[in-house]
Amino acid sequence: MKKIKIITIIVLIILITMVSFFGVYVHVQNRMEDKVRDYELDMDLKGARYVRLTVNTGSTDVIKDAEGNEVQTEEEMTDEQLAENGYTKESVPNNAEGSLTAENYEKSKKIIEERLDSQGVGEYEISVDNETGDILVQIPENDYTDNFVSNMNTVGKFQIIDSDTQEVLMDNGDIKKVNVMYGSSSSTTSGTAVYLNIEFNKEGREKFKNISSTYVEAENTTNTTSENTTNTATDNTSAENETVANETAENTSNETVANETTETTTKEVTMKIDDQEIMTTSFDEPIEDGTLPLQIGSATTDQDTLQDYITQATTMASVLNSGDLPIQYDINTENNEYILSDITSTQIQYVALAVGIVLLIGLVVFVIRYKLNGFLSAIAFVGLISVYLLVIRYTNVSISIQGIVGIVVTIVLNYIFINKILSKIKKSEDSKNLENVRESIKEGYKEFFIRIVPICISIIAFCFADWTTISSFGMVMFWGAFLIALYNYLITATMLKVKAEK
Amino acid sequence: MKQFIKSKQLRIILIALVIIAGIIMIAVKGFNFDLKYQDTQRVELYIETKFNTADIKQITNEVFGNQKVMIQAVEVFEDSVSITTTSISDEQKNNLVTKINEKYGTELKTEDITVQNIAHTRGRDIIKPYIVPFAIAIIATLIYMGIRYYKLQTAKVILKTIGILVLAQILLFSVIAITRIPIGRLTIPMVILVYLVTLFGITTRFENNLKKKNLEEAKSKK
Repeated sequence: MKKIKIITIIVLIILITMVSFFGVYVHVQNRMEDKVRDYELDMDLKGARYVRLTVNTGSTDVIKDAEGNEVQTEEEMTDEQLAENGYTKESVPNNAEGSLTAENYEKSKKIIEERLDSQGVGEYEISVDNETGDILVQIPENDYTDNFVSNMNTVGKFQIIDSDTQEVLMDNGDIKKVNVMYGSSSSTTSGTAVYLNIEFNKEGREKFKNISSTYVEAENTTNTTSENTTNTATDNTSAENETVANETAENTSNETVANETTETTTKEVTMKIDDQEIMTTSFDEPIEDGTLPLQIGSATTDQDTLQDYITQATTMASVLNSGDLPIQYDINTENNEYILSDITSTQIQYVALAVGIVLLIGLVVFVIRYKLNGFLSAIAFVGLISVYLLVIRYTNVSISIQGIVGIVVTIVLNYIFINKILSKIKKSEDSKNLENVRESIKEGYKEFFIRIVPICISIIAFCFADWTTISSFGMVMFWGAFLIALYNYLITATMLKVKAEK
Repeated sequence: MKQFIKSKQLRIILIALVIIAGIIMIAVKGFNFDLKYQDTQRVELYIETKFNTADIKQITNEVFGNQKVMIQAVEVFEDSVSITTTSISDEQKNNLVTKINEKYGTELKTEDITVQNIAHTRGRDIIKPYIVPFAIAIIATLIYMGIRYYKLQTAKVILKTIGILVLAQILLFSVIAITRIPIGRLTIPMVILVYLVTLFGITTRFENNLKKKNLEEAKSKK
């Protein structure tokens, strides 16, 4: 019975080891496919998207009137048209010469860092060339990489302007913070709506209060006398992508009467991000809380659409929160490519092999020192590593160089732990006595785990880090410590106890 | 003599010497940064086929001599190679292109290959993301240590822990500076490793002291 129990456990360990180290292959379309999940590698081991942001050297044609004021025109004007209107065309560099300073390059780098942080990019490398201003960013390659890249060189200029006069009423300096909010829609469409909530600072709050009380619909009533008149009072509220609501009141009379005409004049503001019009609106009442919630898209119940809106809103929020880039940068396709790590899989295999050889020597030492107990523990040890590697794969832990160190540390800790238990059993009066074995295991657990409590505290703190490499280490070590406690209780201790049973 | 070797003083002298030597080395030569974090130059060559890193390495050894070189495959098809090194002269670029053409039968032209300058990554940018997680981990650990070993005097335990943790890291960086181990991707794992080993050592020491203290207390009660 004793032998059967031990053999059963050993067979189980061998099975798990086979699965973990060699995989489970299934025939799929004329090829064999390993059904065991692969390791999730991080940027250092897999590769990264290299993005080079180069300083924009282009210029924009600006039309100015006789007084030197900039003229906004929708159409492109010919030289004759310009001359007719007394306008002149000037070529203005997109980056003013004075702005191309080391200080601004550094500021741009910091802004990009902030954007990457706020979008949850867990790992990146960034360097700036203080002479040319070029910024090289390395970020992990995944489904969101293109979105992060497109967001890097967005200038992030926020403006609320008077729709008529084009006067800038508010800008980035008035923003305190921007966040993304969700809520059930207040409109007729059911579902969840995503809002970009712009919160203004003290000065901005005052400005916004004034704007929201100034830019309102105003009704002007005038009395006129006429015959056969048709009076139309129209109330228009326009916002981009929204239906225009028209209310028309029509009074028709064939007699000469005193008519009351109600005209609605609306002062509107336009919100722009990077000179792109986001919306044009007026206000019903003054907004005093200093927040401007902007709905992104429409309310939806579709998860993918909702996720798209959230991504859009998060991107916009991160751009606005980080402030506007002092320099315009370009990213071209040549400077945006995925480059594999210089650490090859062969090199990783060599490291694994080296660890394996050292471990093998350690396990041989177990067998020599502790005989059958050492042999059983060595078998269990191999099983622990197999289970551990499977757990790492199935818990989506991203493996970094730090993660590899975490795996090695776990193996070393487990070695120390098993050695402690085995040496306690050996030192006990009767190492074949079940009670003594139980007592030795109990003491071993107590002594070992009390010593690694500070390590466990640090591991848990690392698990919650935003930075992938350190959280990778934390997660790898967390599962390691967890398995050392659980696996050894279920397998190693059981084998040693079964062996001691009479 | 034996006693002296085993003595605490000798250990202190050795540690002090290593730290002083480390400081001098840092002051005179600074740290030796890994190629990945240095000012470098990079070329990218489209060789139209999947390549063997060892073959490219052989070519770069011939072209760049003793210069450190980093070889990376580009994009999913891995048919372009990115070669990064400290500096690439026109002559080296010509040689490289010629040798690649010879090896892979490509028709690359030197004038089509641009050398990109890559600015160095600053040391503070490398360590910045680790500061907060480490600070939280250390504070939480110190709180635990203070509570667990209150019998050994909380303040003393906390100060000792901080002292040993800091000393171990200073020692590590001194050794890195003296041995000219490059500051790079392995530095942080080394820092973490030393941190954990130190923590394990400190806890073991305090546990033993606590055991002794409890025994003494039990004896005195009897």
